[in-house]
Amino acid sequence: MKKVILYIVVGVATFAIGYNVNAVYFSDRSPIQPIAFSHKIHAGDNNIPCMYCHIYADKSTVAGVPNVRKCIGCHKIIKQDAPEIQKLTDYWNRKEPIPWIKVHNLPDYVYFPHKRHVKAGVHCQTCHGDVAKMDVLTRVSSLKMGWCLDCHTNGAVAIIGREVKNGKDCWTCHK
Amino acid sequence: MLNRRDFLKLVGVGGAGAAAGFALGEKSKNPSAELIPYLVPPEDIIPGVANWYTSVCAQCSAGCGIIVRVMEGRAKKIEGNPLHPINKGKLCARGQASLQALYNPDRIKNPLKRKGERGKGEFQEITWEQGIAMLSENLSSLRNNKRETEKLYLLTSSIRGHLNSFLENFIKAYGSSNYLQYELFQHENLLLANNIAFGQDTLPYYDIENTKFLLSLGADFLNTWVSPVNYSQGYGHMRQGRPGIRGKVVQIEPRLSLTGANADEWVPIKPGTEGLLALGMAYAILEQGYYKGRDAQEWKNILNKYHPKDVAVLTEVDERRIRALAKEFAVNKPSLAIGGENVASYENGASQLIAVNILNHLAGNIGKNGGVISNPKGASLSNRRGAIKKITAFAKDASNGKIKTLILYNANPVFTTPKTMKIEDAINNIPFIVSLSGSMDESTAMADLILPTHTPLEDWGDDFAEPSVGYSIATVMQPAVSPVFNTRNAGDIFIDVAEKIGGAIKKEVPWNSFDAFLKDSWKKIYDKNKGIVIQETTFDEFWDNLLAKGWWRLPDISSLKPGHISTKGINVYLQKEPSKFDGDDKNYPFYLCLYPHSGYLDGRGANLPWLQEMPDPMTSVVWGVWVEMNPKTAQGMGIKNGDMVSVESPYGNINIPAYLYPGIRPDTVSIPIGQGHRLYGRYAADRGVNPIEILPFKVDPRSGAIPLNSTRVKITARRDAPGNMVKMEGSTREFGRKIVETVTPDEFSKMGMEG
Repeated sequence: MKKVILYIVVGVATFAIGYNVNAVYFSDRSPIQPIAFSHKIHAGDNNIPCMYCHIYADKSTVAGVPNVRKCIGCHKIIKQDAPEIQKLTDYWNRKEPIPWIKVHNLPDYVYFPHKRHVKAGVHCQTCHGDVAKMDVLTRVSSLKMGWCLDCHTNGAVAIIGREVKNGKDCWTCHK
Repeated sequence: MLNRRDFLKLVGVGGAGAAAGFALGEKSKNPSAELIPYLVPPEDIIPGVANWYTSVCAQCSAGCGIIVRVMEGRAKKIEGNPLHPINKGKLCARGQASLQALYNPDRIKNPLKRKGERGKGEFQEITWEQGIAMLSENLSSLRNNKRETEKLYLLTSSIRGHLNSFLENFIKAYGSSNYLQYELFQHENLLLANNIAFGQDTLPYYDIENTKFLLSLGADFLNTWVSPVNYSQGYGHMRQGRPGIRGKVVQIEPRLSLTGANADEWVPIKPGTEGLLALGMAYAILEQGYYKGRDAQEWKNILNKYHPKDVAVLTEVDERRIRALAKEFAVNKPSLAIGGENVASYENGASQLIAVNILNHLAGNIGKNGGVISNPKGASLSNRRGAIKKITAFAKDASNGKIKTLILYNANPVFTTPKTMKIEDAINNIPFIVSLSGSMDESTAMADLILPTHTPLEDWGDDFAEPSVGYSIATVMQPAVSPVFNTRNAGDIFIDVAEKIGGAIKKEVPWNSFDAFLKDSWKKIYDKNKGIVIQETTFDEFWDNLLAKGWWRLPDISSLKPGHISTKGINVYLQKEPSKFDGDDKNYPFYLCLYPHSGYLDGRGANLPWLQEMPDPMTSVVWGVWVEMNPKTAQGMGIKNGDMVSVESPYGNINIPAYLYPGIRPDTVSIPIGQGHRLYGRYAADRGVNPIEILPFKVDPRSGAIPLNSTRVKITARRDAPGNMVKMEGSTREFGRKIVETVTPDEFSKMGMEG
């Protein structure tokens, strides 16, 4: 009897360890990127506004990842010697776009327009967390449907000062 | 306390637990995806936001304006241009499906050179430089060494607009006069009939929208005929757009078409006698004194051979019905009679269409709103008038070795001419064949050199729609997307060739690219009309506005003719007897009537899976072909729905599944055109049969039209072959289930719910 309990305890404990190892070291919340880009340096230390790089956030469904020419525009001069910047220069010289890994990835049956949220006055940080403090970008929101509905049903008042129109309508997000 | 065995068990449990935990963590992850940025962003693209480009649809010759939805450089959807006067924002299934012409996996992706035997379909990829060099060398040698420039032939589909004048120019500069256009449905008979009757060889505008009584003789204008999107909207307005007025439609045809199914009355007339019915009605109108013209007596003298009593015998339409139709046609003003493809497809189709013109004339419908409105001539740059007659001459010249080099552009005469014409053998005599088509169709497969061209969504061009809507319009084609494959504009190919040949030809084609030529040509139009009808102060502004709007109203070059039909000399053009059908009625008991399929038209749409998947509106058959037989006839022969039958004409036979269709005369069978491609990509190849193959080789000597309704056939059941017809419908009957509630128009008007 004692042995069975021991087995169960060990099984549960190692299960938890396995799960956490996956979550911490193999997390999709902060995947390893081809270039170790730091939001902390750009948005935090240097105070660059989000929409300086993510230029489509108020115009389109997608916020837009900056094009390589935009990166090189500054880094032609700034920090040329840093090894990570040299990776960037290599991509540019090869005329290859950088294959970033998506941190925030929605399935294609969800219609999520950045534009509407930005125009409604939702701050980037509400969903994306305080990226200005992140050396490695980490997803802080679950992006599950329940999380969306937290705002869409009643939580929006605290954020944008009003309720979401048709917030509970399936067709709002599933077109 | 813990022995070795227990320790190992614990390790096992621990390992399994950790693995399970890791796996669960892995499974609950969002799927990872890459986020690829632009290297350098294109100026006019915002990811996630659509750009719409205006252009012109090229799936048939109606010339509808379209707008193409483009996301990140990919065309996603096509709609009708809401500002365009022909289709007014609407678009048919064929137009929608042109996206699949762009992304078709079986497009020719690179220039090809024939490798094996001709016609075997073995090609090797070459570069554009090599391809242009091959063509230039051939044309140079033809020109320099032997002075045989007349032996160059250019055969294209119906091209209107500036590409047409460009090609004309090139061929002339080269020293040849053999530029011809060929398509199966070019309305040659209708043009001839209008030329004889009104002295004007343009297609008129049929004002269906404003008519009160529409008599359609075999015109499937809601489906495939001439300009179906325009006519469909006109039809909708005629029926429901005018409070208190509901136009009546009578459809006269041996086989009930989609338009016939929408009509109030269907007159299942004997095939080939439609023109006689029109003349019989015309005589009845004269007899009743509805025609008030001064030449009424002359008309009566001419038409007295067509007494309704005699016409009734030939047409198998009751005399009282002929008289009743005639009265309705004359009393309801404005009324409109149109003669469609089914009538034009008879051997004496032009005569029958002249009869329809006479009927319109005697009822006073010419030049009236709600009647036949003539279109101005001249703005159209089409040269097809002369070209049509030459397709037979072309076959003859090819057989006689008069053609040394043939350049094909989007024309597929091998598929669209009867086997009896032997055009394949004729073409095979030509030493050097170049195809500029983008798909491997039956004619392109015979080429020695293939230089693939853009699809319309990747191309520059323009189109002068015919028929227009009472005034001339031009629609501009602009590239909505960058070329998907290694293809080129047809005009650019000729510019490159002219560059290589040099000399006088280069001087005639001085542009660097076709779009430069196009812009240049529009600059001329701008300069000519600036300040008169053009408000824009600079050409660039005009051009930008033109591309944004998609079309422009051209100043009419000729004035409209009054459209009076003179009795003088008309006698010789009148239909004397029912159209001839080959084959005696004992051995070949059925009339064969062919019609264009609503999706494939003349066969060009068969490589687009959306159109293959689209159920035929009358039979609901998909991905195939069928022969329509009257259920009573079929029953008598022991043929069930879907059974394989052999359709045999004196010129050949095809095996095809039978569709039992109540909407067809017992003595007639009908087959849609479009399937039966040997090649033309994975979706079209080896699917069904091509009924054109069993037609006799006949050509109307006056118009050059190939009659499609010209032979009788016999039907025999093929018990040995399984039927392979796939249809969406279970049954055509509702078995009292009240799936569709119906009321007659009279009942409906009594219900007081109109308007």
